[in-house]
Amino acid sequence: MILTAGVDVGTSAVKVAFVESPEGGGRERPGARVVAKWTERIRRRDQREVIKLAYGAALEQANVRPDDVDYVATTGEGELVDFRTGHFYGMTAHARGALFLDPETRAVVDVGALHGRAIKLDERSKVLGYRMTSQCASGSGQFLENIARYLGVSLDEIGPLSRTSTSPEKISGICAVLAETDVINMVSRGIAVQDILRGIHESMANRFLKLLRSAKVTDGVVLITGGLSADEGLLACMCDLAADMKSFAIDVRTHPDAAYAGALGAALWGAYRHERLRERRAA
Amino acid sequence: MNVALGIDLGSTTTKAVMLDEDERVLGRGITNSRSNYDLAAQIARDEAFVGARFELLRRELNDDAFCKRLEARFRRRQHLSQLARLRETAMRETESERVARIATPLRERLERIFDDMETDAHRRLVAPKGSDFFRDLANSAFSAAATRYADRDVTFEDLMSVFDKAIIQVENTRLDLTFESNIRAALADCGGDDAQARAVDRVVATELNVIGTIGTGYGRQRLPFPKDSIRSEILCHGLGAHHMFPRTATVLDIGGQDTKAIQVDKNGIVTSFQMNDRCAAGCGRYLGYIADEMSMGVHELGPMAMQSTRRVKITSTCTVFAGAELRDRLTMGQRREDILAGLHRAIILRAMALLARSGGIDEEFTFTGGVANNEAAVSALRELVRENYGERTINISPSSIYTGALGAALFALRDARNRRAAA
Repeated sequence: MILTAGVDVGTSAVKVAFVESPEGGGRERPGARVVAKWTERIRRRDQREVIKLAYGAALEQANVRPDDVDYVATTGEGELVDFRTGHFYGMTAHARGALFLDPETRAVVDVGALHGRAIKLDERSKVLGYRMTSQCASGSGQFLENIARYLGVSLDEIGPLSRTSTSPEKISGICAVLAETDVINMVSRGIAVQDILRGIHESMANRFLKLLRSAKVTDGVVLITGGLSADEGLLACMCDLAADMKSFAIDVRTHPDAAYAGALGAALWGAYRHERLRERRAA
Repeated sequence: MNVALGIDLGSTTTKAVMLDEDERVLGRGITNSRSNYDLAAQIARDEAFVGARFELLRRELNDDAFCKRLEARFRRRQHLSQLARLRETAMRETESERVARIATPLRERLERIFDDMETDAHRRLVAPKGSDFFRDLANSAFSAAATRYADRDVTFEDLMSVFDKAIIQVENTRLDLTFESNIRAALADCGGDDAQARAVDRVVATELNVIGTIGTGYGRQRLPFPKDSIRSEILCHGLGAHHMFPRTATVLDIGGQDTKAIQVDKNGIVTSFQMNDRCAAGCGRYLGYIADEMSMGVHELGPMAMQSTRRVKITSTCTVFAGAELRDRLTMGQRREDILAGLHRAIILRAMALLARSGGIDEEFTFTGGVANNEAAVSALRELVRENYGERTINISPSSIYTGALGAALFALRDARNRRAAA
């Protein structure tokens, strides 16, 4: 068995996943199994400290010592992980992780704190194309989090609330920093919280569907990954809006571990590279 | 005497300016904006009345030193009565079910905190750091005292949550802080003589007859004013800047939520303008956000940026992205001073683009808004103006935060004159 760690350093959280996979599994790593996973939110703390915390917690959960780990694979802002063995690009890591979570996946929408990206892949997790959102945090995960704070809604309440909306407020292009006053205005105009949230979900979903289209994804299974993958309100919006669009036949899904897609993908790639390195050394 | 009022309800602060019939500023008032817009406007207006009566007293007495001393005593009276209200409200909060478990030790600690705050009131008012709004002064004094008295029975959080609840209530009630009801006590405090007392009486007796009020600013639509008493903030800003610096041709205003580039003619009437489009990059909130990210006061940013020796080029536009970039750069070991210098340049670069679209920078150029008080922003602006337009006179007034309210007051005065002429 090969034990590898994947560390995904994002802008708002560090995700760590430990994966155990049988020897000789090649790229695909059949029989791979998640043995530990841990998320630590950064919240203005020193990123290096947060990485140590998260990695330590995952070691403890897996009940292993640092030396037991064959390969530490990073993705995202991986250069901050000074104990890494190697680094993998976000796109390839995500593609691999998504395919591991749901083998039918042919495209990924990764919704992070600041960026959203659409990745088109084939059945062997080869990246065929991708698109990213622009240089503005409007409609990002951070944006939604800010709004929720102003509305006094906790993060896990966002999705369920959004789903009860009956007349979504049209919201797009609101600055994430100035949103506070906009939200106060909306509330004082008597707009219900759930309608504001659903409005934001719709604007985000529209953006991601556009990204998918420009990455030439028009059918197949699309997996939502990243920090907002657990937001059922966003998922519902993506499904509803996609169903209404002509010449669009995508099947939007998510997975309970979808926030770990990057970390899992890195860990799986790490196992493959570990074997290759061993072979090369033996030869 | 006849006076006109302008009220500028901004996203962060609400300002009022009172003018006499000769277009001279009689009084100014400022308060932090709050969810109750009407009250914010009323308080700023009340403060402008206080300022006006002090101005009248200065004109009566011609004794600046005494007036200064008297005003200091007056401010202290005001502060103490707000503090008394805060104490009362905080004590009432201890009766809540929420804190029943610790009510007795909580009350005992609050008494000590408020005693300390009253003793320190003088020192606090002499050298206010950053903001001098009651909310901010009380907050820093309370939390400093709370750190001293917090322990395992009553935690810092317990104490602060009482404060948070009490301050909102105090802030949303209108206290009697007028000149009339506090001045005699203040006069007694500093031992005024009979002549001074008579002058105070004359000032109190002077009737300030408001012949017009105009509202402007971000929240202007919500002011309880008739429609014809609301004017756009662009018009007010242009006219206000022209009144302060009559040769003004171009105005740049960097406020809390928006940035405006305005061109005015020789009468102060706006000929063209550009505004940033609901984006925090390039306005005051950008610096506020960065200050929060660095756990610093927004007033500390400018001086620190001035210490820079090697400015960093900031590549992000969006405020949130710039905040992330700031964290990255700090982790990479770059100096705070150099990053901050880069951030100040970034905000001014955005303003330069806006100015260019509005028609460039003509002679003279007036810079207004809260960011005009930030030396690092001003220095970046000077540099970029010289690079792009050559030498220009750059006007900055210490009371530039009142520019919009001043313009509104001028409009109010003109409207009143027109009404009178028509009658």
